Amino acid sequence: MALIEVRDLVKKFGDQVILNGVNLDIYEGDLKVVMGSSGSGKSTLLRCLNRLEEPTGGKIVFRGENIMAADVDVRALRQSIGFVFQQFALYRHLSVLENVTLALRKLKKLPAAEAKDKALAELERLNMASHAGKYPSQLSGGQKQRVAIARALAMDPAVVFFDEPTSALDPLMTREVADMMNRLHDEGVTMLCVTHDLKLAGQISDKVVFLDKGVVRAEASIETLSQDHADERIRAFFGREADY
Amino acid sequence: MNGWATFHSDLLEQSPLILMGLTKTLQLTAIISLSGLLLGIVIFYASLSRNNTLRCFINAYISFFIGMPLIVLLFLIYFGLPQWGIKLSPFQVAVFGFSLNVAAYNAAYLTSAYNGLDHAQMEAARAQGFSPRQIFKLITLPQVMRLSVPALTNQVIGNLKDSSVAFLIQYTEFFARIQELAATNFQFFKAYLLAAIVYLALVSVIVIAARLIEKRLVIPGFTS
Ligand SMILES: Nc1ncnc2c1ncn2[C@@H]1O[C@H](COP(=O)(O)OP(=O)(O)OP(=O)(O)O)[C@@H](O)[C@H]1O
Ligand SMILES: [Mg+2]
Repeated sequence: MALIEVRDLVKKFGDQVILNGVNLDIYEGDLKVVMGSSGSGKSTLLRCLNRLEEPTGGKIVFRGENIMAADVDVRALRQSIGFVFQQFALYRHLSVLENVTLALRKLKKLPAAEAKDKALAELERLNMASHAGKYPSQLSGGQKQRVAIARALAMDPAVVFFDEPTSALDPLMTREVADMMNRLHDEGVTMLCVTHDLKLAGQISDKVVFLDKGVVRAEASIETLSQDHADERIRAFFGREADY
Repeated sequence: MNGWATFHSDLLEQSPLILMGLTKTLQLTAIISLSGLLLGIVIFYASLSRNNTLRCFINAYISFFIGMPLIVLLFLIYFGLPQWGIKLSPFQVAVFGFSLNVAAYNAAYLTSAYNGLDHAQMEAARAQGFSPRQIFKLITLPQVMRLSVPALTNQVIGNLKDSSVAFLIQYTEFFARIQELAATNFQFFKAYLLAAIVYLALVSVIVIAARLIEKRLVIPGFTS
């Protein structure tokens, strides 16, 4: 059984149909990459999956439970899904360490010492432990993103969502984050990453899902999609030069 | 024309009253600074509500009290309300009127700091599973308060200076006592110069305290 099953997911903003029947399965241990052009609804898809956005229709099953039911504990659901944003979104008044411990202490209710140990272990895993005392403004983009990943992993989530995790980063830092994602994949962390960055997609995944006009149009390797796919638009999307 | 001797002896004679007035000034300033801050935070919190009616009401509140001259507000409460059977002491009127006014200003400062924040942080906190109340307490308020320290301490200075207006509703604070002193010996210049020096000294103390607070709260790279 899939960890997350998305069935005929529909999301409208007013009359504007953004997602028009998306079907997607995410299995434990997957590093799934969803690609699509700007405005295709990639962020909206992720935000529906943890109910930051209310889906209009369809079904989302997470660990066997329909999370669109009225009685779902949305905040508990969100605690079991890590979320990494394009703009890092670190808490700017807190140190690196405090960024990671905040949810452990206030949501998981861990004692301070335990939260600190757990946070340091996660920072260590992301090679950021030596920066624990710094503030977000004192870090590079790649370092910020690794702290954001540590913050997500510290909650022991069932899956981590990445929304364009590298589009604010230069190629070197993109590589740094991609390497980290690959390592986490090897360690068995389940991840769902949406991006239009072909380079990142190529670095972290063999197969990608292509989201277009509100539906999943294809799921195949980037190579297949760029060369052999019947639809010329899809060939064009994947055949473009990685633009950075 | 000199009159130092009479001024001195009158000052000495009236110094217990003047000191009592000074205490009342400091009391009023401290109380309205605190109540104005707390009420300002509550109003700011309410202004973030998703409830449109509440937000409209809050906006109206802020505009109304920022637009209304303080003295008009105090007179309205002190002289106007008794006509409706509500009679408050000068101290109560001062605390009540000033708090409403100061809170409106503080809420406006907090709001403008809030508008400058990186709102992706609040979204990240929501995605982590924090409740709106927790986000306010753990993320929004600590950041907004830090950014507002200069504006909030300026407001405290303003409170000290404005508290002198309270003599017009028979609240016998420092400035009221200074006027009595001036009226006894007609040494207006000396009396009001004394008042000016005392106010300046008190303002300096507030400024120094504000600097210390700012220094303690400083976070690398965290400015508006
Ligand atoms: N809260 C909202 N209200 C109305 N429209 C919205 C809202 N959020 C997103 N949209 C619209 O939904 C569409 C899809 O947006 P979304 O952010 O999901 O796209 P995306 O694929 O993530 O794009 P990008 O690659 O630029 O991040 C866009 O046309 C956007 O304008
Ligand atoms: Mg997006």
